[in-house]
Amino acid sequence: MRKIVAVLKREYFATVRKKMFIFMTLFFPVLIAGLMFLLIVLMGGALGEKRVAVIDGTGRLADVFSTPLRPEAPNLREAMRSRGNDLPQTLQLEYLDARRQSLQEAAKPYLSRLAAGKKKTGGLDAVLVVPSNAFDDPQAKMTFYSRTATDIMTQERLAAVANRAVQRQRLADRGITRDQLSAIMRQVDVEGVQISRSGEYKKSGELNFIFAFILAALLIIPAFMYGLEIMRGIVQEKSDRVIEVLISSMTPFELLTGKISGIAMVGLTQIGVWLLILGGVAAFGAAVATTAGINILQFLRPSLFFYFILFFILGYLTYVCVYAVAGAACNTDKEAQQLMFPIQMVMMIPWFVMTPIITNPDSSMAVTMSLMPVFGPVTMFARTVASDPPVWHILLSIAVSLVTILAFFWVTAKIFRVGILSYGKRPTIPELWRWMKLA
Amino acid sequence: MPEVLSVRDVTKSFASVRAVDGVSFTVRRGTITGLLGRNGAGKTTTIRMITGIFLPDSGTIEWVGGGRDRIGYLPEERGLYRQMKVVEHLLFLAEIKGVRGVGRAVDAWLERFELADKRDAKIEELSKGNQQKVQLIGTLLHDPDLIILDEPQSGLDPVNMVLVRNLLRELREQGKTILLSTHMMAEAERMADDIVLVHRGKVVLAGPLEAIRDSFGKNTLHLDYEGDGSFLQSLPQVVKSRVDTNEAELTLSDGTDPQAILEAAMKRLRIRRFEIASPSLEEIFIEKVGAEALEAQA
Repeated sequence: MRKIVAVLKREYFATVRKKMFIFMTLFFPVLIAGLMFLLIVLMGGALGEKRVAVIDGTGRLADVFSTPLRPEAPNLREAMRSRGNDLPQTLQLEYLDARRQSLQEAAKPYLSRLAAGKKKTGGLDAVLVVPSNAFDDPQAKMTFYSRTATDIMTQERLAAVANRAVQRQRLADRGITRDQLSAIMRQVDVEGVQISRSGEYKKSGELNFIFAFILAALLIIPAFMYGLEIMRGIVQEKSDRVIEVLISSMTPFELLTGKISGIAMVGLTQIGVWLLILGGVAAFGAAVATTAGINILQFLRPSLFFYFILFFILGYLTYVCVYAVAGAACNTDKEAQQLMFPIQMVMMIPWFVMTPIITNPDSSMAVTMSLMPVFGPVTMFARTVASDPPVWHILLSIAVSLVTILAFFWVTAKIFRVGILSYGKRPTIPELWRWMKLA
Repeated sequence: MPEVLSVRDVTKSFASVRAVDGVSFTVRRGTITGLLGRNGAGKTTTIRMITGIFLPDSGTIEWVGGGRDRIGYLPEERGLYRQMKVVEHLLFLAEIKGVRGVGRAVDAWLERFELADKRDAKIEELSKGNQQKVQLIGTLLHDPDLIILDEPQSGLDPVNMVLVRNLLRELREQGKTILLSTHMMAEAERMADDIVLVHRGKVVLAGPLEAIRDSFGKNTLHLDYEGDGSFLQSLPQVVKSRVDTNEAELTLSDGTDPQAILEAAMKRLRIRRFEIASPSLEEIFIEKVGAEALEAQA
């Protein structure tokens, strides 16, 4: 036990004194906040503008296309709300009434300007051609020309504006006045309310989404970073031969226990500081946000902190064990990283599907993943933020994670025993398997 | 003196290579035992099994003296955390041997090894020789009974080599048992009470150094002379010989009186030196493992 504590202490202080730790602890939250801010600023219209020509064969859409299309509502709340359909980008428009001409002829000069590219020389980014039969022929099709095949956003936006205008015009043609039109077309807003089993109501929505995302990132990033750290540490101990001194003084099990608990303490320290910072910011932010009509406190439930710390520990230990195996099995950082790359990809799967999980926290995919080993902690946590999963799901997920960690730890200790002193080439997976049985 | 460490018929293979092949020897308390052999002979693997780093494939290792915390082990290559401070590192090394509160001992050791001013330096800031000294202090700090040193003098300058030599003798005086692995025969000859000579994973010779030398007998003649000495190698009593222009080293058959050789030589040569000697450890080593070892040593 003394030896475990000695290793734990060394590991903890060696890591905590590193510049990376100090940087991550103090500046990472600032960095995240800065990135968010930047994102919002960018969403507020910094995507620049595009110049688009509209060739109108009907000659009746001049109203909507004669003024530039500016992004709507560039404020923080709306920016967060936007699901990406309406890009915060201004479209400068050139409108041509092509009623009495051949559309092809009319479009020609515009299309050559489009092909020429670059706004500065009078070029265009896109051309939209509205056929003359757009109002009556159900088969009618508008054509969108652009240099990039991927500019779906601009295409959708122009199509939506044109369609709305056409629909309004059709209604107007049937004798509906402007005022009536506005009344007919007025949209009804939706407000999301999340209801929990205990019958609590709370407004949910976009902020919750962002919040879940940030917390999931805070949950997962330290695991990867300090996992990498423990892997490098073990590789270095091997290349510096410190490992010989260590293994001649204690069992690999004691060594591994000491190292992993040391690194776990580092992670907890980091998270502790972050939560303090977050708490401080939240207290300040809550005051600001309340005046803006957002009740931040509804997201900061005490249970959230509990779950965060719980799933942080579970996820962290799982990942760190996996990295420790890689460190024990390899002799250079490079080898270890090569070995880890595919494994890392697998471990990151929950992160890749975070959006569907958060938006559909009770879908069968989210439920399955939250109950799986390795994927469980981060997925389950995201579910507890976004939804109110049944208690037995949470307990099962915790149990699965605990078993996984114990199994990983056992395997790691075995591979440690054999792998840690095998200098030579990197083992193959079958060799690792053999080591495991051997130890 | 009682045996404190006994290695019995120990074998260890790596993949297809049999690194240690049925090695047996014992170490007596309060002595220095030299574990000798060429690089790759199996010395380090044997030591790693004694320190519990490797488990032997077969055979037993018995250490009478209270578990591995009572062993001090100096690995062949430096094994220190580069980023740690000297003093912290030493305290850590003691702690993993279950010993705390050795701050004073650390300072005394640093003083003795002329490292007092490096107390708060990081390991990576030290020279190779100084790192080796720190490692040696780390090996001894918890006051072990069995001290296992794998090539302790690598990286040390002649002054520090003397320092280490004196230290080892002092530890022996205190009743410590020392297993000293080295490929330098002259060093072993200077220090060791007992030797264990390994070659290709096998023990080829083991026992007290003096007894071994005696068993090889005082049957070596060194001659310096003027004249043509080539006839010396064809003398009937000479088993083995090396004859150069003005000197010769002759190994005599058992029971030969060296005086007879001297008489024969005096008839045809002008003798400047005549010496009867025991073979050096180096000669014994070469005789035991053959000329192939000689090439490798060069």
